[in-house]
Amino acid sequence: MTRVVVVTSGKGGVGKTTTSAAFASGLALRGFKTAVIDFDVGLRNLDLIMGCERRVVYDFVNVINGEAKLNQALIKDKHCENLFVLPASQTRDKDALTEEGVETVIRELEHMGFDYIVCDSPAGIERGAVMALTFADEAIVTTNPEVSSVRDSDRILGILQSKSKRAAEGREPVKEHLLVTRYSPKRVEEGEMLSYKDVQELLRVPLLGVIPESESVLHASNQGTPAIHLKGTDVAEAYTDVVARFLGEERALRFVAYEKPGLFKRLFGGN
Amino acid sequence: MSAASSNRPIEFRNASLGTTVAVLRETHPPLLADALHKMLGGMPDFFSGEPAILDFAEISLDCGRVDWAGLLSLLRRFQLQPVGVRNLPGELAAEARRAGLALLDGVPLGERSTPPATPAAAAPTAPKPAPATPAPALAAIQAGTMFVDRPVRSGQQIYARGGDLVLLAGMSNGAEVIADGSIHCYGPLRGRALAGAQGNASARIVATNFGPEIVSIAGVYKTFEQGVPASIAGKPATVRMRGAGNEQKLDIEPLQLD
Repeated sequence: MTRVVVVTSGKGGVGKTTTSAAFASGLALRGFKTAVIDFDVGLRNLDLIMGCERRVVYDFVNVINGEAKLNQALIKDKHCENLFVLPASQTRDKDALTEEGVETVIRELEHMGFDYIVCDSPAGIERGAVMALTFADEAIVTTNPEVSSVRDSDRILGILQSKSKRAAEGREPVKEHLLVTRYSPKRVEEGEMLSYKDVQELLRVPLLGVIPESESVLHASNQGTPAIHLKGTDVAEAYTDVVARFLGEERALRFVAYEKPGLFKRLFGGN
Repeated sequence: MSAASSNRPIEFRNASLGTTVAVLRETHPPLLADALHKMLGGMPDFFSGEPAILDFAEISLDCGRVDWAGLLSLLRRFQLQPVGVRNLPGELAAEARRAGLALLDGVPLGERSTPPATPAAAAPTAPKPAPATPAPALAAIQAGTMFVDRPVRSGQQIYARGGDLVLLAGMSNGAEVIADGSIHCYGPLRGRALAGAQGNASARIVATNFGPEIVSIAGVYKTFEQGVPASIAGKPATVRMRGAGNEQKLDIEPLQLD
């Protein structure tokens, strides 16, 4: 049974693509055959984060329009054996995405035996974002700990409830997960940022994980390596936990408490 | 069946859409502008494009003249969309029609669906062919109370026509719930909650976690520009109407739950 998971947020810049790349990689590392689709037609980014931008020949829109076969457009990931990327087109706009076209691609991926299809949603609540969530079975709502991001996530949760196929057909609703990203325990401590508990209290969606704000995310993007591969970093650990929780395992929350730097650290610095 | 019907270029469906009835007691645009400004305060986009029916039942048009152009443009400025009139004196009907308004006489759309008082009264409407699939929403309305099991999210709007609304998972900022009866909210009440939408002043709003952006009962509004008072914020509370006439105001009181 293929599960379609949308990574969405409403607001831009919160970490959807970083999360899609890391999460899809994490599923593949656990042995699941996974495809990750970039729905941000016109502003393709996922291929950069995944480090496969030089290998893009055909894209999602080519497949929808019948100009290429799906297996011609799917790019095999360089890190994981069972991970494939379906890049977005940079020369089209989001109107190129039709519901029938998207459905055909998803059905074909199911037919090819994929366990998970991760849909990387564009920001906003327009066509691209709606197409990304239409066929979702589960949704990872990526939220930064600040009020406007929370408000936009709330809006996208409402759209999930009304526009997803599951809602339209009266089936069991899309399973919602909350992922708080770019979290800085220090700024929460100082009262500059909402705590993950505040965010969860506002959105009332089960918490899948908290990803700390980190320099290593930027390094990962620049290298074209999904953050989950950066061994030993808190971000990679946090995403590994997220994948485990998604698969039903119990993992305690980490990287959410602020520890005041000790005397040694204050004297000699270092991270 | 659905494949065949989707081929038809036009299709007729039964719908009862939410409209607002604006009961006019005055048609002079400047007077109305003042009143609207006072009522809506700092929220000129309160109605956000809602369709409205202008009701002339409570007005005596002695002069026999209505400045239609001025009236309509004023209402549009406050984001209302006047679509029709009712209870209009016969001699003004032609003018209203020229102004692009439909004449909706007798019982307005919104009140037709109220459950009949006696079973005998319901009988004449009964012999309709039974619909293939009864809409679940309709069943909820006939029961008099509408239940919403999931959180009402920002940007969503829910209207419980003719009865009470029960929110079992709370509502978020930026959402709007409207009921002709009372609103009961188990969980956070955070957006706009409008009870007694058809004018029922004894409707109430009851919430276990009070923190709305705006509340209203029977058209009397209360905003919280300075935030909800700390004594009730996030706590159980009820809102009800006190007083009468121009002295009407909304009272918010803490509610003891245990």
